[in-house]
Amino acid sequence: MDLVVQIMFGVTGLLILGAAFMVVSVRNIIHAALWLITCFFGIAMLYLLLQAEFLAIVQILLYIGAVAVLVLFAVMLTRQIDDPDEPVLFQRWRSTLLITAILFAAVLVPTIYNHNWLIFADPQPAFAGPRELGFAFMNAYLLPFQIAAVLLLAALVGAIIIAMEDQEQRRVRVLTLAEEVALRGEREPSPPTRPANPQPASSSSNPTPPPAPEQAGEGA
Amino acid sequence: MISAVPLEWVLILASGLFCVGLFGALSRRHAVSMLMGIELMLNAVNINLVAFWRYTQPDEVGGMIFALFVIVVAAAEAAVGLAMAIAIYRTWQTVNVDSVDSLRG
Amino acid sequence: MYDVVDFLLNTQLGLNSPDWVVMLISHLVVVGMLFAVAPLQVLFLTYYERRAIARMQDRVGPNRVGYEGLLQPVADGVKMFTKEDIVPDSADKIVHLLAPIVAAAPVLYMFAVLPWGPNMIAVDLPTGLLFFFAISSISTVGLLMAGWASNNKFALLGAMRAVAQVVSYEIPALLSLLFAVMFAGSMSLMAIVEAQGGLFISTTDVPSVPDLGLGWFVFTPVGFLAFVCFFIAALAEGERTPFDIPEADSEIVAGYMTEYSGMKFAMFYLAQYILNFLLCAITATIFFGGWQGPGVAWLVSQSLSADNPAGNPVYNVLAGMLGTFYLLAKTYMFFFVMVALRGAFPRLRIDQLMNFGWKFLIPLTMINILSAALWIAITRWGTAQGFGIIEFAGEPGNLVRWVIAFAVTLVINVAAYWFLARLNVQDHAARQAALTAGGLAVSPPRSA
Repeated sequence: MDLVVQIMFGVTGLLILGAAFMVVSVRNIIHAALWLITCFFGIAMLYLLLQAEFLAIVQILLYIGAVAVLVLFAVMLTRQIDDPDEPVLFQRWRSTLLITAILFAAVLVPTIYNHNWLIFADPQPAFAGPRELGFAFMNAYLLPFQIAAVLLLAALVGAIIIAMEDQEQRRVRVLTLAEEVALRGEREPSPPTRPANPQPASSSSNPTPPPAPEQAGEGA
Repeated sequence: MISAVPLEWVLILASGLFCVGLFGALSRRHAVSMLMGIELMLNAVNINLVAFWRYTQPDEVGGMIFALFVIVVAAAEAAVGLAMAIAIYRTWQTVNVDSVDSLRG
Repeated sequence: MYDVVDFLLNTQLGLNSPDWVVMLISHLVVVGMLFAVAPLQVLFLTYYERRAIARMQDRVGPNRVGYEGLLQPVADGVKMFTKEDIVPDSADKIVHLLAPIVAAAPVLYMFAVLPWGPNMIAVDLPTGLLFFFAISSISTVGLLMAGWASNNKFALLGAMRAVAQVVSYEIPALLSLLFAVMFAGSMSLMAIVEAQGGLFISTTDVPSVPDLGLGWFVFTPVGFLAFVCFFIAALAEGERTPFDIPEADSEIVAGYMTEYSGMKFAMFYLAQYILNFLLCAITATIFFGGWQGPGVAWLVSQSLSADNPAGNPVYNVLAGMLGTFYLLAKTYMFFFVMVALRGAFPRLRIDQLMNFGWKFLIPLTMINILSAALWIAITRWGTAQGFGIIEFAGEPGNLVRWVIAFAVTLVINVAAYWFLARLNVQDHAARQAALTAGGLAVSPPRSA
């Protein structure tokens, strides 16, 4: 029986770590987001192995259902025609890799192995279901609970304010197709004003579909 | 689980995930990719919290509660971070954090 | 199921199988049954919908294949199998292949926690309700993958619309279901159904009510408002008319399904109909008592169980059959409402959809949670919880408290509905006026 559990743990761990490696190394950012979802799913499986059933369900509901979908959505909203020659990593990524590898091999692993963890002797299956958690939230952890609520509210308001567009501006910016074509014809010969502006190129072999009309008018 | 898999294995898995996430957050140029790295790191922390709860204090709910708070903070962080990515894209037409350097002296 | 397999293997055949073999076999049997039920439901529902909508449009509907066209869905299935599977040249092949699987698989998981009858549930999870909606949220990822991998503007637009819609309407759906968790004191769907015995008044509120299996939550003001909100949100989650914006065929061909053909298209179709069936079933379970109905409680009391060793196993079967009959009758009733809505209403615009969800449904469901808390406080709390003022002695006391709770929550919910509706109408009128006064719009403003 122990061996079965060990194999399950190994498969889950490989799934989590492999998916995480793909997230940071894959070139296409949509694929990275999909690997992120795989990784979250593996973590939910690990929670089930650790008998944290409620947390596994919350992981699926919040991370896969909300955060990952939000990430995919943001990736699609901020489409950029990316240049295959442009690197996806910073120039100094090798030193970063070295530092994180050293952190893992020289700091974290020895610490974990040299510390004498106080393992709870009783191997009784623990169960912290929604009822116990609810009691804890309403009694011992009432203040943190309310602070978390306020934090969420602040984040919600902040996200809306940051992402909100000015209605008036937007109405001017949404152009008809004919106006857009005319504008593009005017703009094409002169280089973009800001150096960071990529060309609004429409020809690319990249699988990302070209921007929708609403985005196409934004350069105006 | 407790008898078959020692706590150290779970902790090493979590720290490996943390390091991968750290690498991603530090070295990817796309703003949303950096956020993904941060999400991985937060998840690694969560695995740690749940593992400690299960192995050392299964009769209390503290570890689970902390993990839930981490999830709340991660959700808030993702919302604000992605809103910022969209705002940056709208202003500069790029989400490469390298290119957003208007304030460079 | 465990007991039946145990009886057959160990008592009848004398195999003395170990515990885990019996467990494994019983789970496999249940899983096999559920996997057989899901496609059959889809076959029936498509036929049902086509016939019903044909009546509304003064047509006959499919009536050629088999008796009255009953085999039409099978014929359609065969047609789907034999179609050529076309993958666009510029599509992302792997993601294009995975998308229908990711969209369809989670929907089948949702069957695991649905109670079909007394003690008839695959797994009675203590977090069943949350599991149901958590697992359904994975299929949005499938839609987004489909839309993106097709490399088609219509598909991408459809996927973006679908995800925006499903994510926004998940919030009112879950918030409106919270009241049931508070009423039943559990997230297990079995416990929620069991709390709905009684006759108009639930036995959990007033224990002396005769148990006819009719104490449904929808008979309380809290439950009724939650039911209306949830059903609207369920229509949006199942992408039914009037919320079929993601696959609006007159605007964006077929949304995220545009580039799919053959079996992959059939997978999306399957996923959508199973999801609609499950949403109707969960509406029936949470608001209309699920398998509860007149007679089930009596059959259960006569049946063989650990508490009642003198019972007759025939009654077990009868109770299960009657419970399943009640559940399916209610489910098909709601599916008919969905079909009727499709026949009667035009499609909403996306900004109308978003405004309705965020500015009307979410505040309304939040006020409903307040009402639910008041209901619990008035009917169940006593001096111990600091609510001694409304504690009455004896059995009529419970009834008096129930009446007070009914009146209070009714007033709150009607007032909330009236206030929010007025606020939204005023807001709409003000924006309309600003639009006509401004007159600067190049094209009408769209909020994505």
